[in-house]
Amino acid sequence: MAQDWKSFEPLLIPDIPNLEKIDVYEENGGYDALKKILNDRDTWSRKSVIEEVKQANIRGRGGAGFNAGLKWSFMPDPDGGPRYLACNGDESEPGTFKDRKIFEFNPHLFIEGSLIASYAMTVDTIYVYIRGEYLSWVDMLQEAVDEAYERGYLGENILGTDVSIDMELTYGAGAYICGEETAMLESLEGKRGYPRTKPPFPAQNGLWGRPTTINNIETLANVPLVINNGADWYGDIGAEEHPGPVLYGISGHVNQPGVYEYPTGIPVLDLINDVAGGIRGGKDLKAIIPGGSSTPPLRADQLDGVTMNSDSLKDVGSMMGTAGLVVMDEDTDMVDVLWRIAHFYHHESCGQCTPCRDGTGWLEKVLKKIKDGEGEMKDLDLLLDVGNQMEGRTICALADAAVWPVRHTINRFRDEFEERCKKSVHAVA
Amino acid sequence: MPEVFIDGTRYEYDEEKDEMLLQFILDQGLEVPFFCYHPSMSIPANCRQCMVKVGTPVKDQETGEYELDEDGERKIRWFPKFQTSCSTRLQDGMVVLTQESSKEVARAQKDNLEFILVNHPLDCPICDQAGECPLQIQTYKYGPEGSRFEVKKVHKPKHVDLGPRVTLDAERCINCTRCVRFTEEISETHQLTIVQRGDDNYPTTAPGEEFDDPYSLNTVDICPVGALTSTDFRFKARVWEMNQTPSIDITNGKGCNIDLWTRDNEVLRITPRQNEEVNDYWMPDEGREAYEQFNENRVDRPSIKLDGDNQSNTSWNNAIETFAEVLEANDPSDITIIGSPHASVEENYAFNKFFNLLGVRNAKFTPHVIPGAGDGFLITDDQAPNTNGCRVINLDEADDTSIQSNVAAAKVVIILSDDLVGREVLSTSDLDNPYTISLATNHSKTTKASDLVIPITCVAEHAASYVNIDGRIQRSYPAKETKYTNRRLNLEMSEGRLDRFGTNFDNWVSEENKVDCLPVWDFLNKLGDRLGLDFKYDHSREVFAELSSSIDELQGISYERMDEENGVQLPIEQKEVKA
Repeated sequence: MAQDWKSFEPLLIPDIPNLEKIDVYEENGGYDALKKILNDRDTWSRKSVIEEVKQANIRGRGGAGFNAGLKWSFMPDPDGGPRYLACNGDESEPGTFKDRKIFEFNPHLFIEGSLIASYAMTVDTIYVYIRGEYLSWVDMLQEAVDEAYERGYLGENILGTDVSIDMELTYGAGAYICGEETAMLESLEGKRGYPRTKPPFPAQNGLWGRPTTINNIETLANVPLVINNGADWYGDIGAEEHPGPVLYGISGHVNQPGVYEYPTGIPVLDLINDVAGGIRGGKDLKAIIPGGSSTPPLRADQLDGVTMNSDSLKDVGSMMGTAGLVVMDEDTDMVDVLWRIAHFYHHESCGQCTPCRDGTGWLEKVLKKIKDGEGEMKDLDLLLDVGNQMEGRTICALADAAVWPVRHTINRFRDEFEERCKKSVHAVA
Repeated sequence: MPEVFIDGTRYEYDEEKDEMLLQFILDQGLEVPFFCYHPSMSIPANCRQCMVKVGTPVKDQETGEYELDEDGERKIRWFPKFQTSCSTRLQDGMVVLTQESSKEVARAQKDNLEFILVNHPLDCPICDQAGECPLQIQTYKYGPEGSRFEVKKVHKPKHVDLGPRVTLDAERCINCTRCVRFTEEISETHQLTIVQRGDDNYPTTAPGEEFDDPYSLNTVDICPVGALTSTDFRFKARVWEMNQTPSIDITNGKGCNIDLWTRDNEVLRITPRQNEEVNDYWMPDEGREAYEQFNENRVDRPSIKLDGDNQSNTSWNNAIETFAEVLEANDPSDITIIGSPHASVEENYAFNKFFNLLGVRNAKFTPHVIPGAGDGFLITDDQAPNTNGCRVINLDEADDTSIQSNVAAAKVVIILSDDLVGREVLSTSDLDNPYTISLATNHSKTTKASDLVIPITCVAEHAASYVNIDGRIQRSYPAKETKYTNRRLNLEMSEGRLDRFGTNFDNWVSEENKVDCLPVWDFLNKLGDRLGLDFKYDHSREVFAELSSSIDELQGISYERMDEENGVQLPIEQKEVKA
């Protein structure tokens, strides 16, 4: 698959004008997957929908890469009370900007996917939590939702069946932490976005204490593809252990930054050189961050033969994350880059857990010191040590996400950091 | 019984209790440091201080038997991360390593304290919390020796008046959210929340709102650092200079268990004392403000009305002589005595018994109730601490009109510790005609209208018992000296640091602030001597011993039992306290 990516036809955001209009969407086979299920519920029982999605192995596109169908199967049996699907469109990690493309160009695919998910899990209310800065995208999605209500895809007795599902849009207020699934639930409940301790997991005790599943927008947009074409067809797209189409958000020093849809497993260098038009100004590649700022950066010399799927990236010591690729050319100052990332995590730590609240600030301040030419050699080991003290000791993974770039940037670009410290006003041999 | 192994020792636990690991560890008398956990509130697990290493035994899936390793020991599957013991549920066979047996855990806890101290101002020398500060104590025990933090600390608002009683120093805050959870879960006023994010976090009220929760000062108690301080007590005394004496809140009928904190015979603050039968860990702010009445406005030396409205201090001898002459000059049937729900069981009993011996009718008392003042939690409609106590010893419960008519008919009125004029049961003119004698702790409208005022000890100066609105009898201890008691001799007094460790050169016994007053029974001893009555109690213990042998409800109850059981529930039906 890795080679024939050039012949790939986009599935999530196909090149069809006005696909965001429900008429155009329907003309192009839209809502067929939903009709297929609701019109033939003997074949498509709730269980078999979950089974099909599980088989397809849609890995969560929000960063953790967990099998979506398996996640759905964690929902307890219905007890008559409310059950929720919370859709995570809060993408706010530096380098990640893919979901808004779906809101803008193919919102009904996501709506259809979330309806199928809701049917499968007997969910009656879907909440869509959208990044607060995406105000116009909220409007775009709201238009699509209104259309879907008018056509009877949402609301009471969908397509004349006894299935009733509502969808409500809501948006954040500019906090990265609200993209963490349990913090998002708190925020949806109108509280401070503090991640919850687990257990209990959201499937048992989610929104307002009720069973809740949280899925990424792009993950849900993949669901109709699976229902229409089958799990086997889906499994053949891209890398074996991480199949399907992915929206690659490419930013940084490339000629054509943007969001591109290709299968998983595409060679990283092809993505940079062919898809994104190569490095700006004909410069050399220095480093990439493969999947949003929390994923460990990779040096250019580590990228030979590396493809965009979790196994391949894991082999070289990084992660797929959200497939938000940040490309850095030879002139990039890695100390500066790392300080900027550390600044982000310091600013975005919710402050609930001690190690993250005080650790992220400590990391940033020491990096600032190095950046400003006042660093000492011992600061590099201090940074690594502080990182070790933070990792794995907090409620959510924000501390881990803050530590990984620090650890791996220092380890993989140590020369650069040492050089900066040696030149510093405090330089000690 | 299911079992857990903590640092290699086996403990059994009760599955029914559904306990968390940290609470279980504490219940065994073991220790794991923590800040955010509080047994009466929800568990946020946010301070991350109580991290321990936890593992569960591996079971064979088919047989359900424990799998064993080569040495015949159970195989343990360790959790990949440290677990916060506060939020870890006990599981049968669970193996736990705390800082006592695991260097890793000790290091993790030390790391966490290093983080907490990164932005903490470390201003212990000027912090009110020093000496009773969980952060200070646990840093000494488990913290790093120094800090590797060489960059700038975060600055946040300091000395912010959150409300009329609580002052915030946001820099000291470690964001445990105990105070926020208190207003959400205990007082339910939802007045506090955390604002900002990351290391800028601190608790405060909504913009323009005041933290005027009637229980606001409890947040000061549970604050594990000096971030929330009592505006009133701020900078008044160091913790180690004070003596801490158990007592009972006398400002309402609940009888919250409290501690009186004294220095140089002055009560400087009141804090709640845990008693899950009564007040758990809490008390209303109103009860804390009562400390002033133990120091200020006290009746000091007897006083007597000479001419017109002018009262003048007089000697005890003269007071006793005057009192005795009044009693001798009047027929017992012309004397009305009024007991008090504000006075203790022993005071009321001794008072009533003394005058009964003279042939005076049984004492009346009138409950002090403000309908609607209570909140169903720790504030009651009943404004007095001992209404049920007066009932138990069979004083005559009377309404305001019956008190008024009795006073109007009497030639002599003797009032025990109750401001009947102040609370508008009587008016000053009601007391114009009868010769009025007040036995009182504090100056009031009633003492002002009295012809003779005898100063008596307050709850902070004597050992006595009170029966709360739920029928629970609880006792107080002397916390401050009077002119006639001495902390060196008074075995009931609690010991402070100087009592225990001071030398004669420390000059720690202070003659300041001693009030010239007597316990009621002691005064009545003297009055009895003068009148030739057979009336003698050396101590309130004797009064109570007599009571417990003569009153059914009090049988088998002693001070010792009250001490051991933290108060005793009496077999009385809870009577409605009516206005």
